[in-house]
Amino acid sequence: MSKKSEIQDTIENRDRIHVVMFFLGIVFLVLGGFILAKVVHIQASYYVDPKVVNLFRPTSQRHVEEPVRGRILATDGRPLAISAPLYDIYMDCTIRKRDFEERGNKEAEQEWRNKARELSTCLSNEFRDKSADQYYNAIIRGRDNGSKYLSIQKNIDLNTLRRVQAFPLFREGGYRGGIIVEAHEERIYPYDSLARRVIGYVKDTLRRGLEANFDYELHGKAGYEWRRVTDDNSWIRDLDSNVVHAVDGNDIRTTLNVDFQDIADRALRKQINENDGIRAGIVVIMEAQTGAIRAMVNLSRGNTPQTTLWERENLVLREVGEQGSVMKTVTLLSLVEDGHVKTLEQTLPTNNGFVPGGYRQDVHILDYQRETGRRDITVMHGFEISSNYVFTWLAENYYGNRPQEMFDHIYSYRLGEAFDFDISGLGTPVVNRPGTAGWSKTTLGTTAYGYGISVTPLHVATFYNGIANKGRMMKPYLVESVEKDGRVIKQYEPSVLNNICSRNTADTVTRALRSVVMDGTATRLKGAKLSVAGKTGTAQVVLTPAERAGSTDPYHDPRGRKKNQGTFVGFFPAEDPKYTILVTVYSYLSGQSFYGGTLPALAVREIVDQIYALDPEYQQELHRTGTVPVMKTETAEP
Amino acid sequence: MSAHTVWTAIRNSLRAIRNGEFLLRVRADKLYMHILYLFLLMWLTIMLSLQVDKTLTVAGANKAAIEELKIHHAEKEAALVKLRSASGMEERLEKMGSKATLPKEPATRIKRR
Repeated sequence: MSKKSEIQDTIENRDRIHVVMFFLGIVFLVLGGFILAKVVHIQASYYVDPKVVNLFRPTSQRHVEEPVRGRILATDGRPLAISAPLYDIYMDCTIRKRDFEERGNKEAEQEWRNKARELSTCLSNEFRDKSADQYYNAIIRGRDNGSKYLSIQKNIDLNTLRRVQAFPLFREGGYRGGIIVEAHEERIYPYDSLARRVIGYVKDTLRRGLEANFDYELHGKAGYEWRRVTDDNSWIRDLDSNVVHAVDGNDIRTTLNVDFQDIADRALRKQINENDGIRAGIVVIMEAQTGAIRAMVNLSRGNTPQTTLWERENLVLREVGEQGSVMKTVTLLSLVEDGHVKTLEQTLPTNNGFVPGGYRQDVHILDYQRETGRRDITVMHGFEISSNYVFTWLAENYYGNRPQEMFDHIYSYRLGEAFDFDISGLGTPVVNRPGTAGWSKTTLGTTAYGYGISVTPLHVATFYNGIANKGRMMKPYLVESVEKDGRVIKQYEPSVLNNICSRNTADTVTRALRSVVMDGTATRLKGAKLSVAGKTGTAQVVLTPAERAGSTDPYHDPRGRKKNQGTFVGFFPAEDPKYTILVTVYSYLSGQSFYGGTLPALAVREIVDQIYALDPEYQQELHRTGTVPVMKTETAEP
Repeated sequence: MSAHTVWTAIRNSLRAIRNGEFLLRVRADKLYMHILYLFLLMWLTIMLSLQVDKTLTVAGANKAAIEELKIHHAEKEAALVKLRSASGMEERLEKMGSKATLPKEPATRIKRR
């Protein structure tokens, strides 16, 4: 082949490639243009025939089966929180409107409106929140304005829903009557506000109480199944697909005794309801031998006295504060256990109620000197009258050189730490021990009578429970078991936090606590139906900077007003303690004082008397002495 | 197999169908029982499938009824428990004008022998 013809072939090949590439380019250009046009068309005016959509719709649908949340039970099995769906009812007011308009059927429209009027009357009679005219006007206004989601009523139960579904128009169903029903799982609390702060809640990100801490047990596990539609338009399970059954949540059995909770709630309300100066009040009842909490009441008002008492916040766990004289028992227990106080009748000089070293004078001692003419006082009497001087003197005298010894005791009583508890959020105590920033030369003495150490009421109740249980300090707990269909799958046993003192020491301190009730600051409990041993405490609360408003005194504002708290904590029956009880009331900023020996002691007395009447432990047995004849009526067959 | 043979077979088959002789030409009479059996199986399959659907529909309705009963039970339980609270009882007694109150003394039990 000549060179010329080779060149000619090459040119022809190139021309062919050019032509093919040209046409390919054209094809891609046209395709691109088509795609662009299709995009514009779909975005702007494309309409998909529903019949076509149905052909593409899968024949099976995934149906999620929600688990039923577990119940929270009282110790006797009565439910404190259960789950059940509540229903919201809406109405599509525009239902069949277009249909009537297209057919020009004014009579049908009028008939629909007549039914709507009947429906309005029924709704008004059922819910009694609006008149029939108000309901009717809302429906007709919705129909005229094209409202497809008019709220009729919310949070109704199943019985009410069934009645509403039988009303005129609604009985025709969703497609003809326009009724829209939306179910949502809700928690029902049969006892309303009782123990609500302990029970708690889980709502979106808000999580409180047992509901939050035991959510992993309560919530269960969702399941799913695939469903397909049958020839008669029913949805049934698709047997060719997987099924995962929902697992309902486990039940939580608490240690709470509903009757005790009710009694405590009522007694506290009775004492503080009429007293506008009281901001809040709490009650804790704990079983001495186990640490099981039988009642925990947290009643508080809002920022103003006008608001009603309600379980707003868990003060028992979170109100870290100086507890005042109830902490004198901590000092006494340490002194007796260490052998510094060998007998409660041991005396110390009165010194006009004055301890050197920057302490305030105790005016109670001056009264005591004046009344008795004595210049010495027994430890027992100092405890009965709750003398700050006596306990400052004892602390300075016996622990002045080794303050750490006393603080070691405080830590061994678990008053310096937030121990593990069934509800999270137990406040961490603040202890101004040697070496910390809060330590000063008077801290030892003030700690001896309850200032300079801040703990929660639960810490105090747990400590007193240790004395009631003869030195074995039990860990407080609220949940005794996790159950599934009535079968226990997890049992929580009582556990010991620490052995805080010997039995003899506990008995000695119990005697001192009993004398407080008999001859001291808690004589309001003297005639209680069960013997009570305990201690009162009145403490001034450290004000926030806003409340202090520039005052240099941490306990008073510039107008001399203060916030204080009164506490009674003890146990009963004193001879063989079964329950430990703590009642505290907290005041608003005011000029009034509230003492532990008044409102709290009165509440304790009422609670103790009612527990005595209800607790089977105190029931008496009547021994049968004769035979009761078999009762027969004249007509009865033998 | 050539295209001609295939075409001839199709043409003959179509003619046989037109003349109503197709089944005889393929000697289907020999397979008559089998065909009947096949139809029986198909009928049974369809019937059973419909019965299963029906049963599942009933089961679904029963499940819904049970769920509804459970909800009723929970609501009733809550209502009954509410009635049992001591303070509620005392309030109702007071409203009714009764002089009965909660016990002030513990109950006395008769000991069984």
